[in-house]
Amino acid sequence: MYKNIFKYDEMKRSEHMAVRQTVGWYYWTHQLIEISGPDVVKLLEYLYPNDIGNIKVGRDRYTTMLNENGEIIDDVVIMRMAEDRFWISTLFLTYTDDWIYYHSEGYDVDWSDITDEWDMFAVQGPRSKEMVNSIVENPVDGLKFFSHEPNKIGDMEVLINRGGFTGEKFGYEIYCRKDRTDELEKILKDTAPGFEGKQVTEFQVMAWTLPTESGFYYMRDLAHTNPMEVGLDGNIDWEKDFIGKEALLKVKENGPEKEMVGFEVPEADIYIRSKQYGGPGEAVYIDGEEEEVGRVSKMVYSYVKEVNNGYILAKKDKLNVGDHIKIHGYDAVITEKKWI
Amino acid sequence: MSKKIDERLPQNSGKGSGLKEYYAIKSPWEKMYCYRDAMHYSNRFEQVIGAACMQAYRIMIPDYRERAQLMCEDALARLVATNRMYGENGDDMNNMHPFMCGQFVGALIGDQGDDALLMCGRCQDFGTYRAEKELDVCDWDIVGSELCRATTMSLQGSAIGSAERRRPGPSMEYCMVEAKGCGDRHCRIVAENRDKYPMPEHELWESFGPVATADQIKYTEEEDCVKESMVFREECNYTFTNGTHLEQDSSSANMVTLSTSASLYVLPAINEAVRRGIVTREMADHILHCVCEAAGKAMFGERYAIKAARDWLGVPPEIGEDGRVMGGLVEMQLQSILCNYEVEAFNEKECIYVIDRSGLEITGCKELPQVHVDFWYGMVKTLVNAQWSLWEEDSPAGKLRIRIAKKIDKFC
Repeated sequence: MYKNIFKYDEMKRSEHMAVRQTVGWYYWTHQLIEISGPDVVKLLEYLYPNDIGNIKVGRDRYTTMLNENGEIIDDVVIMRMAEDRFWISTLFLTYTDDWIYYHSEGYDVDWSDITDEWDMFAVQGPRSKEMVNSIVENPVDGLKFFSHEPNKIGDMEVLINRGGFTGEKFGYEIYCRKDRTDELEKILKDTAPGFEGKQVTEFQVMAWTLPTESGFYYMRDLAHTNPMEVGLDGNIDWEKDFIGKEALLKVKENGPEKEMVGFEVPEADIYIRSKQYGGPGEAVYIDGEEEEVGRVSKMVYSYVKEVNNGYILAKKDKLNVGDHIKIHGYDAVITEKKWI
Repeated sequence: MSKKIDERLPQNSGKGSGLKEYYAIKSPWEKMYCYRDAMHYSNRFEQVIGAACMQAYRIMIPDYRERAQLMCEDALARLVATNRMYGENGDDMNNMHPFMCGQFVGALIGDQGDDALLMCGRCQDFGTYRAEKELDVCDWDIVGSELCRATTMSLQGSAIGSAERRRPGPSMEYCMVEAKGCGDRHCRIVAENRDKYPMPEHELWESFGPVATADQIKYTEEEDCVKESMVFREECNYTFTNGTHLEQDSSSANMVTLSTSASLYVLPAINEAVRRGIVTREMADHILHCVCEAAGKAMFGERYAIKAARDWLGVPPEIGEDGRVMGGLVEMQLQSILCNYEVEAFNEKECIYVIDRSGLEITGCKELPQVHVDFWYGMVKTLVNAQWSLWEEDSPAGKLRIRIAKKIDKFC
């Protein structure tokens, strides 16, 4: 008989719960583009729907990137390193790099892939601040969410960014030069036990279980959606021109056709196909009805709530919180898209 | 004999559709098949040739263990080397994230490759310590269980190669716990990290498992199985997608023209057997020749098979038992695998084709053109009749020139 690949896995559970209860640290290097020049703000304002110009030096912003149809083609964190210099943290460098190339004509900017220059470790959880403070030269007490500042660990120059993909109030990302990675890893490994911390090693915990519990998206969730369908339209700057604006205005006028909703499946040992593994995801039906109302985007497990949880990309207004549905014959219930 | 080319579609038949990536194929009698059908046709036909080659290999090395072990060693070594040389583009294509450490990323390569080879199914698990892939269809399932074992080693090789370009992480052992080639409903690869999931050590050829996480296997029931790759399914918007957001359209399916069981596994294993002195080159070629010729003859041993082939090609009734029928079949196959050829003669007395040899080598397998000639020779004997023959003659450099004509051979 099939047993849930999350529920009974004590390794995944302990790594996940370390982040929720004490502190978890892990190698979390993303792809990085550095872009600079006199026209950099102008270009980024055009490439991204959220306001970029008002990001202060030392601050970050999460934003989607859209195509001309208003569909999300990447979601990134933009970090302002200087007035005319930004880092773009992405997991889809090949797409994003091409996208910048195709749209940069006429803008006085330079950009390069600096992924091979920097590594990054995430330190996440309630005791993360304590842990980070125990190793850095300057305490990070004053660091606001989505802010970064240079610091030192021993003689190692690092950049500390407060943020993360776990939904934790306290979470930090430590950037170091590639040639110091092993050294930093050892420091984190040696320091974590003092804070009841643990190394997170499982991809599924880093990219799926922790973010999903917090209502975050992994890029695959967002494929062929627009910001309004997935609730990422709140910070769009409608006053400026950006790629996809025209299409998005029509969506705004007519209303989105789809929406992302949460769901839970109480029965433990079940498996439901979802887009997180590729493919179309399992079809979703309302109890007793034949119309397909959505497809499962993701199904993982909430170790905090002890339930199978995930997202469904559904037809707009077809599924409401509390609705009982069938997914591949299993009883499921629609929920808010957040579990902590 | 005349070099006349009877009225028929032009020599570049198959290119006339005007579609470069989604080409159709056309028989000399205007029977046209779409890109999808062409891919399915060539994918299966080439594995029939692969199955014949496997029988030859079995004669060369009668012991199952020895044979399978050699094949696995060869596949593993070649795929590690190939991935080291060419794998970086695949890393980017599959969106392998920098933080994905270790050998589990190899599952992404296998997942994409399966769909492109029309081996449709689904990824069921993808994590640092365990991955699982289930196939519902595999056109390679007739070749032999040794192949199933060896393909598992190619996944292992890809995983090892990819992991070397990443920050070190957990290793994985890839096992094919079910194999359609052994009669199972599915092919199922389960990859496990042995530190987390300990199991006794085993030899390479014992790549069917068992695995430690049998209770985590997700078995898809018959009614939920699929028959087509994502690139040919409406519910997938005719797009392959993996969990890291690689998207590919059906142009990816032409991977079947680049990868066959014979070219990638069986013939290289025979070459390795020759290199190790298990069999001489002459004996290996002799056995291949005998087996492939017999296998070709078996293709049309039943009259209904001849009728089916003629119908499929659209051969008009006025064309009786002559070599053009065989020629038409050869052309369909060449078009399907994107192998260029020219028609030098096509009439009731003879057909002559000048074929691009490298196209028939299917990714650099030098022995494959001769294997095809042997196979086609057998086919013509039953598809047309025993008066007819097919042989190589006066090939220009880089070409394979074949003639289909009547021939008396007292030593055939």
